[in-house]
Amino acid sequence: MLLTLTGERKVLFVGGKGGVGKTSVASALALARARNGGRVLLVSTDPAHNLGHIWDTDLSDAVARVFTASDGHVDAVEIDPRATIERHFKAVSATMMKLLPERLHRSAKAHLELAKTAPGSHESAVLERIAELIDHGVDAYDLVLFDTAPSGQTLHLLSLPEKLMGWTESLLASRSRSDRFAAAARGIVGGENPEAAADSELRRTLVARRDRFSRMSKTITDGTITGFVVVTLAEKMPVAESLDIVRQLHDLGVDVASLVVNRRSPADAGAFLAERRIREDICLQELREHLHTVPMTELPLLVRDMTGEGALEELAALLSAA
Amino acid sequence: MGPLPIDQRRKKIFRCWSAFQEGLHESYVGPYRQMFKREQQGEDDLFMVAVLGEALGVPDPAAYYTAELMPALWEDFHAWHRRIGIPRSPLDHIGCC
Repeated sequence: MLLTLTGERKVLFVGGKGGVGKTSVASALALARARNGGRVLLVSTDPAHNLGHIWDTDLSDAVARVFTASDGHVDAVEIDPRATIERHFKAVSATMMKLLPERLHRSAKAHLELAKTAPGSHESAVLERIAELIDHGVDAYDLVLFDTAPSGQTLHLLSLPEKLMGWTESLLASRSRSDRFAAAARGIVGGENPEAAADSELRRTLVARRDRFSRMSKTITDGTITGFVVVTLAEKMPVAESLDIVRQLHDLGVDVASLVVNRRSPADAGAFLAERRIREDICLQELREHLHTVPMTELPLLVRDMTGEGALEELAALLSAA
Repeated sequence: MGPLPIDQRRKKIFRCWSAFQEGLHESYVGPYRQMFKREQQGEDDLFMVAVLGEALGVPDPAAYYTAELMPALWEDFHAWHRRIGIPRSPLDHIGCC
């Protein structure tokens, strides 16, 4: 069921409350999809990365191959916002040095240094990298799979393209008004607009930004391309938070494609775990009542730690069977 | 010295008439042009404040994006702070003057 989904969508976000096993579920999905002959790009957006730990390797902001099957593979990235910030400001700085006279170079550089550390820059950089990886990933891969940060952060991030689109729109509108006033003043007396060059540069930059946000917003709200997989445990708090996530995703227009209930206690391994299972069933009942249209997959509690390819293979097999 | 030849006199009258017309035109459109200029400046100032918000002490959540607008705004900054009545650059790190 869940595996079919990885074949149908181009972009999947795996998210949920902290500690429910998002990374292992995302990794196992990637592995299962690669075994089915898919080219998968697996991306961790959580600043506290543990994708590398699960795959038993060191990952970075650059794409690296972590798994190869007969005709599919998994490439993995751990987003490093600092790398993106450095790249971004280097490009801005280069433009600035080109446009500004020599005597202003030093102060321009100082200003950019400040902007680098401004609150929000970090988050913007993560968003920028996600947009980049989606743009690149939907062409070069069959599936782009995001292992996301705990819910609050991720939901905020997903709401940004829409908000920032509004921001660029309002700045562009301001430019248009300014232009119209300038044109009106010129129309009366004639003459060239001396600020045309700088202004078209402003406009070009703003339009490029807006288009990028709008492309991302369109992709993540298109239910045929993008889906969100909510991972949860069959416990009171994770269930409550999952319901909240689903509600907020609905408001953002993001399709909730599937639910994964991780680490279900076995009924046949002693009275203690059997008792736990009964309590879990009660929690799941509530989840089903509210989300009866979303397909649900249950994964059992496993004995071993979720690290290394062996553990992922086991989880992938369970996902494939479910 | 006799009277000017006829075509020179005609030229002089034409010049006077042109100057008079220009003055008339200016007296009509001048105020409007001023008004449009003022409106445009107001709009530009608003833009400047939105983009330089961070530097002016207003936290700018979009600093990452406004930074890429700076190259095109830097030159205007000087004209702007002069216009709003601050003779020297109000920002330490923008040393335009």
